[in-house]
Amino acid sequence: MKTGIFICHCGHNIKHTVDVKKLSAYFRKISGVTVSEDYAFVCSEPGQDLIKESIEKHDLNRVVVASCTPGLHGELFKDVLRKSNLNPFLLRRVSIREHCSWVGDDIEENTEKARRLILSALYGASHYVPLEEKVVDVTKSALIIGGGVSGLSAATFLSRMGMHVYLVEKEAELGGHVRSLKNVWPIGQDGSTIVANMVKDLESSENVEIFTSATIESFVGFFGNYEAMLKTPAGETKIIVGGVVAAIGFSPFDPRLKPELNYGKDERIVTTLEFEQSKDILVLPEKPRIAILHCVGSRDEQIGKAYCSRVCCINALRVGDAIKDKYKDSYVESFYMDVRAHPKGGEEFYEDTQEKGVLFTRSNIAEIIPTPKGLIIRGEDTLFGETFEREFDLAVLSIGMSSPEDSKLIASLLKITLDKDKFFLEAHIKLRPFDTAVKGILIAGSCSGPKDVEESINHGRASALKLYAFLNLGYAIVDPFVSSVDPKRCSGCRMCETACVANAIKFNEEKRVVHVEEAACMGCGLCNATCPSSAISLRGYVDAIIDDEIGALLEAI
Amino acid sequence: MSQDKAEKNPEIIGFACSYCTFKASEMAGSLRLKYPDGVKLVQVPCSSRVDPAFVIKAIFEGADGVFVAGCHPGDCHFIKGNYFTRRKIAALKEMFDAFSMNDKLRLFWVSAAEARRFVEKVTGMYNEIKERKNVRKEN
Repeated sequence: MKTGIFICHCGHNIKHTVDVKKLSAYFRKISGVTVSEDYAFVCSEPGQDLIKESIEKHDLNRVVVASCTPGLHGELFKDVLRKSNLNPFLLRRVSIREHCSWVGDDIEENTEKARRLILSALYGASHYVPLEEKVVDVTKSALIIGGGVSGLSAATFLSRMGMHVYLVEKEAELGGHVRSLKNVWPIGQDGSTIVANMVKDLESSENVEIFTSATIESFVGFFGNYEAMLKTPAGETKIIVGGVVAAIGFSPFDPRLKPELNYGKDERIVTTLEFEQSKDILVLPEKPRIAILHCVGSRDEQIGKAYCSRVCCINALRVGDAIKDKYKDSYVESFYMDVRAHPKGGEEFYEDTQEKGVLFTRSNIAEIIPTPKGLIIRGEDTLFGETFEREFDLAVLSIGMSSPEDSKLIASLLKITLDKDKFFLEAHIKLRPFDTAVKGILIAGSCSGPKDVEESINHGRASALKLYAFLNLGYAIVDPFVSSVDPKRCSGCRMCETACVANAIKFNEEKRVVHVEEAACMGCGLCNATCPSSAISLRGYVDAIIDDEIGALLEAI
Repeated sequence: MSQDKAEKNPEIIGFACSYCTFKASEMAGSLRLKYPDGVKLVQVPCSSRVDPAFVIKAIFEGADGVFVAGCHPGDCHFIKGNYFTRRKIAALKEMFDAFSMNDKLRLFWVSAAEARRFVEKVTGMYNEIKERKNVRKEN
């Protein structure tokens, strides 16, 4: 074994709390270690050259880089090995920055911990074998789930860039919730017009297939070659796609979950969506008294919706604005917690509605009591600290956004995760807001959290752009960490077959042994840990590697 | 490390899943959250990769405590790997119970975003084990 150990100072980050000189001197004496160096910044160009030169000069066959976390610069060091004609899977990274120097203050203890971590990497890496990176072809096509504004904008972008696009919408018509909006703030345009323009744009593109009233039955495969079975009115269709943009939108909050509001029991209690659709036909007295309730289904921990839905304040303001336009002598009172008129121009609009005469009362609403004469609203004025009861002719509930009905179903199909509110979870909320943990599966629009129309369109286009960058390469490198079976040891008990979630393990009836279909294997290692006869091993994480790592960490080797 | 110090400070081996708990530990480092240096991690692709044999091996080789940590139920990157882990560790715990060493094994769920939870869990485990160890020593 000819191992090169490179310990990074990371400027002061590691050097100040770990005695790097002592470490590199210590490892020089360990058998199997040919080179042991410490360097200010191993990730810098001179640092990379140091690794490269050492590999060439000493004919190294293992490289251990002790520095920052493996997630950072992972590909960079692999590339250094590739350029030195060494298999990139003979590299081992140890994070002595995130796991030693930044979590402890005692330099002696940190150095000891770093020593053991590097030792375990050294022993673990001794069992590494060169692995072949698999390059797979990528199908230049995309599946867009959801035909709302974000799905439409993603589909249009991708199809214009030459990708074949399959758009799946479960409803009979495209457009999602925006289609039913009569007046999209702030442009005042009819939602159906906006959607119609977007659909026209999309349909004018050649490489688009739109499936309405369609659902996804199954979804298997890996990045670049996903296979989906669609159930359409015309029957079942199989499609092969390189990647997915999931844009399944949201579900409007159902105010029946708050029974004290008596929604659904009296037709004078409506939601903002219903009000918008029926405001022209609504019969109201000459001087109507109207109550608008903010935050119905938002910022309410009792019903498990602690988040702000962002769009409902503007919706509530629009209701007040519309009533004041139609009935000059109306009495409109808005019951709010805080007004978060968040998009551009929202605050100005808030002031305008106040000037038009909409009253704003900071309050908590206890209940709405329907009586033959009117609706009695009981609540607490949180500025004066006193309770009130007032009578109205109409109550409009500004409902928030809940996670889409299908979020659980789609998440389990696509193998992506949900957050605590059952919206889709981003890979990283700031750095990778469009990605999921699964490569090639992106999310767009309000299925990852409340968004307004403009944001949804932006989000859709951004996800599409990101997917385009993945797919346009035409190939993908797949991690070779898959399981393999030693047929001589396999007893044919088929326990692994039952355990495998990916259905990658197939049983050969004739030989009475199993084998792994590498393309389907996800690399979790469950079969490895399940097999009673140790016939299956997960490449890169074989038993010997983990055993020796444990031993080295405890200094038992 | 002196003999005395080695006796007092427990050694804890943690098996951390790459997608959640290992990420949380990286984040704990980036946030400069402190936790005892006796806690050392072995990275596994999924908590289901942890063969009970690894846990036993770690105990045999001198670990005072072992934990297996992965994504929250339902959040497994490999769909239901952590359900298998849960079953396996539950069975292993019964065995540990029989030898009165149930305090040595723990299973907990820490998502990638829960750096603070990671630190709380490992520090809690470390302190409890340390306390027991010192009590045993005095007796």
